[in-house]
Amino acid sequence: MDREHHSAFRTLAEMCLLCACACALPLSMQNMFLLAQDSYKVSHWKQYPPGTQYVYSYFESRGCDNAGWNEVVFFGLQYFVKRYLLGQVVTKEKIDEAAEIYSQHFGDGVNDNPSMFYREGWEYILKEHSGRLPVHIRAVPEGMIVPTKTVLFTLVNTDPKCFWLTNFLETLLVQVWYPMTVATQSRFQKMSIAKYMEETGNEDWAVPAGTSFKLHDFGFRGVSSVESAAIGGCAHLINFLGTDTVAAMICARDYYGSKKAAGGSIPASEHSTITSWGVEGECDAMRNMLESYPEGLVACVSDSFDIWRACKDYWGDKLKDLIKGRITDTKFGRLVVRPDSGDPAETCCSILKILLEQFKEDVTTTKTGHKLLPPYIRVIQGDGVDWESIPKILEKLKKEGIAAENIGFGSGGALLQKLNRDTFKCAFKCSDIIINGESRDVFKDPITDKGKASKKGRLTLQLAHETTGFSDADKYKPRSDANPVPGGTGFLHYSTDGKYVTVASGKGDPAKDILQDVFKDGVLLSDYKLDDIRAKADIKNGPFGGGTA
Amino acid sequence: MGAVCGAPAVDAMEAADPGAVSGMPFRSALLDNIMLLSDSYKTSHWRQYPPNTTEVYSYFESRGGKFDEICFFGLQYFMKRYLQGQVVTAEKINAAERIVNAHMGLGEMKHFNREGWEYILQKHGGKLPIVIKAVPEGMVVPVKNVLMTVVNTDPKCFWLTNYLETLLVQVWYPMTVATQSRAQKKVIMDAMMKTGTDLKAMPNKLPAPAKLITVGFQLNDFGCRGVSSMETACIGGAAHLVNFCGSDTMPGLCMAVDYYNLPLASVQGTSVPAAEHSTITSWTKAGEKDAFKNMLTQYPEGIVAVVSDSYDIYNACDQLWGNELKDLIASRAPPTGRLVVRPDSGDPKTIVVDVLERLAKHFPVTTNAAGYKVLPPYLRVIQGDGISYESLQEILSNMAAKHWAAENVLFGSGGALLQKMDRDTQKCAFKCCEAVVDGKPRPVFKDPITDQGKKSKQGRLKLVRREGKITTLTDGQGDEKEDLLVEVFRNGQITKTWTFADVRAQSEVGLPVAIFDVTSD
Repeated sequence: MDREHHSAFRTLAEMCLLCACACALPLSMQNMFLLAQDSYKVSHWKQYPPGTQYVYSYFESRGCDNAGWNEVVFFGLQYFVKRYLLGQVVTKEKIDEAAEIYSQHFGDGVNDNPSMFYREGWEYILKEHSGRLPVHIRAVPEGMIVPTKTVLFTLVNTDPKCFWLTNFLETLLVQVWYPMTVATQSRFQKMSIAKYMEETGNEDWAVPAGTSFKLHDFGFRGVSSVESAAIGGCAHLINFLGTDTVAAMICARDYYGSKKAAGGSIPASEHSTITSWGVEGECDAMRNMLESYPEGLVACVSDSFDIWRACKDYWGDKLKDLIKGRITDTKFGRLVVRPDSGDPAETCCSILKILLEQFKEDVTTTKTGHKLLPPYIRVIQGDGVDWESIPKILEKLKKEGIAAENIGFGSGGALLQKLNRDTFKCAFKCSDIIINGESRDVFKDPITDKGKASKKGRLTLQLAHETTGFSDADKYKPRSDANPVPGGTGFLHYSTDGKYVTVASGKGDPAKDILQDVFKDGVLLSDYKLDDIRAKADIKNGPFGGGTA
Repeated sequence: MGAVCGAPAVDAMEAADPGAVSGMPFRSALLDNIMLLSDSYKTSHWRQYPPNTTEVYSYFESRGGKFDEICFFGLQYFMKRYLQGQVVTAEKINAAERIVNAHMGLGEMKHFNREGWEYILQKHGGKLPIVIKAVPEGMVVPVKNVLMTVVNTDPKCFWLTNYLETLLVQVWYPMTVATQSRAQKKVIMDAMMKTGTDLKAMPNKLPAPAKLITVGFQLNDFGCRGVSSMETACIGGAAHLVNFCGSDTMPGLCMAVDYYNLPLASVQGTSVPAAEHSTITSWTKAGEKDAFKNMLTQYPEGIVAVVSDSYDIYNACDQLWGNELKDLIASRAPPTGRLVVRPDSGDPKTIVVDVLERLAKHFPVTTNAAGYKVLPPYLRVIQGDGISYESLQEILSNMAAKHWAAENVLFGSGGALLQKMDRDTQKCAFKCCEAVVDGKPRPVFKDPITDQGKKSKQGRLKLVRREGKITTLTDGQGDEKEDLLVEVFRNGQITKTWTFADVRAQSEVGLPVAIFDVTSD
């Protein structure tokens, strides 16, 4: 391996998967498919029952502890499929390298242990399937809103000799929890913002108004990697149009067919571009912002030293005419004032009051009687913003007679980082296995945690009203003191809203299955586009055709 | 996709979705474009500094947080991965310009700084004219100290320093993982010492025979599926390996090997065969015993871990392990022949002791010199559900209260180890503290009246040791020679490379026992 690299090199980059030319990349970093794994998975091929031919597993959200969060937006699987699974992903070189690393990894400290890595299995895939993965993935359409505790995707091998491959893919595919959770949480924030906009008299819901730019992604620096920024940022973009996470647009463009820039942003200052003018120069720095960008929107962080002085004396007095001059017969422009410290609800309310006073000659009132700043000035809160603080801030404004339309939000860590696989309790479990031609239900149901019981058998997701011909006894009842059967009884898992049913134990009707073919034997079978996903996931009064007021 | 060879041809925004076209795993070349690895607003900042600005000097610190000291780690990855060598090319400039100007509204404003990037391409061969100084990787530093500084070396590129903030601030992640994992190592070491384990007598120095039985394997990384991407798994997994050896996150190992010169040989023996629910439940409930037996016979030597809560953990301990399979377990050859029983549900605090008590009914337990119970060497328990810095302490103290030695139990941690943290955990921030304008340096700082905790340092910074304590000097004070910050990057070149052995040696300063034999790396 070439350890002395003199140019930026790629870890996850499988440049060599794409082209045969020799790149100066360390092999192990190109071999993300075989190595992007939990180690213990490598040993599993020896652990299934003799005669195992097919292993069938599924992914679900087992629910969420936040009140009312009973549904998810399914999103992100397509990225992982396109990024890691399509086409020939197994080559001789990769097998050799993975074999070497695993042999060391599982060694006893003195001797290598070549027995863990299933070389024959991988060579079989290379030879019989040209290195393409003989598995079949079916999934809920991306962007669909699905109740929790419902099957979201299923995975099964298509070659009986590759029964071990299904759950080998678990580690990678479970990472779908992340884009799905970001998209879902971002969507709940959209609903919360839309509610307050409606309650404080907003009337214009079409792009670029309404919620479209009300929650801006500030999360690039606060996520754990560039790849996470791309995935998480894209997940936010299915609900909103504002982002500063450039990587998100790349993901939308290259994995979700977005032909235009999937998100918009505006010039904005940061502390360094203001504080570098000195304490005495703050007002000049602010003037420079207005003059450097004479048209359009411009945002300016205003808390470097004293947010109250900035709003009252600078924006509200010395620079007032410049701000008012941003809108004329021939141009539209707007200043967006950004506080960045203090208690978010208190600070937002206080500075809005100052600005409403300083610009009172142009302030209007909405149909609900809430005050609205003139169109050339707004506020953006980008500090401490999350799904809990947004309604707190907007509730306080509403009570003070201030319209939600006055303010936009920026969110970083809370939007893209402060969530985890437990937020929606995402799990991937084996539910069916075929041994010597015979299918058997597989499930876990630990007596030590009822919430961890898994579904049994082959699964379909169906509309409840289309699922007929079953009796009450067929409804799933979890194990309980009165019903001590491990794994529970029945096979109809109704969603809490009663609209959907996951039919287990292979009793479903494939013709009614909402799950779609996504991937089979190395080939992509569904290709979802960002525009369609946005429309599917939209809310009432949303910007993507989710209904108008 | 032949065009991917050499310089990837990147089309305008409208030429979308090569992923679907190629039919192959596709990594977007745009994610390797430094001009696009920044916040959008940064693309507009070159117009915003005072006229005649020639230098912008910024620094990175932990402003406090959950832990009082941090273990600095991960910068080298970002530099090798994204910053070194020629990172600006004509093609990349064109690609970045299309995207930025399409994205930033009012296209006529042309926010993208084409002239600035072309200057870097022409004058500097596409290499970044900046200097980065940083704390040696692995070093443990009290919070509220400078950890890294960045400054431009070409006066025309004053705007570049903070353009790199977005990417460089992502160091918060490996640093926070390494810091928390190190804190857990201290918790485990303390508990083991208090409950009668002679840490120094363990085969700590690596590599060594039977090294699987060391502190290095007391906290294993189960986090690969619970992180937000494979790149995160690489970075976070490596950060945990700074403190421990046990990891199931292969990408973390690969990162340590490829970016920190961890010898492949020292990757030896870092995981063990283990069951998951599917490999047990596929034998059906009636077949659980056969599934367990298969684990013992398929892997007759060394350590094997088996998840045992699929249906009834108590029955598994009493009937299956404790009775029907007892002899098979007891016959595993020492020192590493060992079954590790894994509960995976229930309240972690109590379930661990419950399982220990059940096993103690069936297997011979000894009492160590400190009076704590120890299972026979061929049997251990691993708790891999609900493990965090906080729960670890609760479990270990509950065990001690019931007279169980800490060494009976190993831990696995996933989400809490690699995902449940954020930039606020250690309040990481990157701030400009000096600018040169009109040829004169001026201190730069923010000090919002709405939050005193956000006040930033000012002037040139040095990290020094004064009377044994590490502290930060501001305003250019102190002597270059005493500065603990080391220049790691200059004008496209990495000027100091740390090996994983260097990192581990630094991180073990202050711990009761050093477990890594770094001399052999």
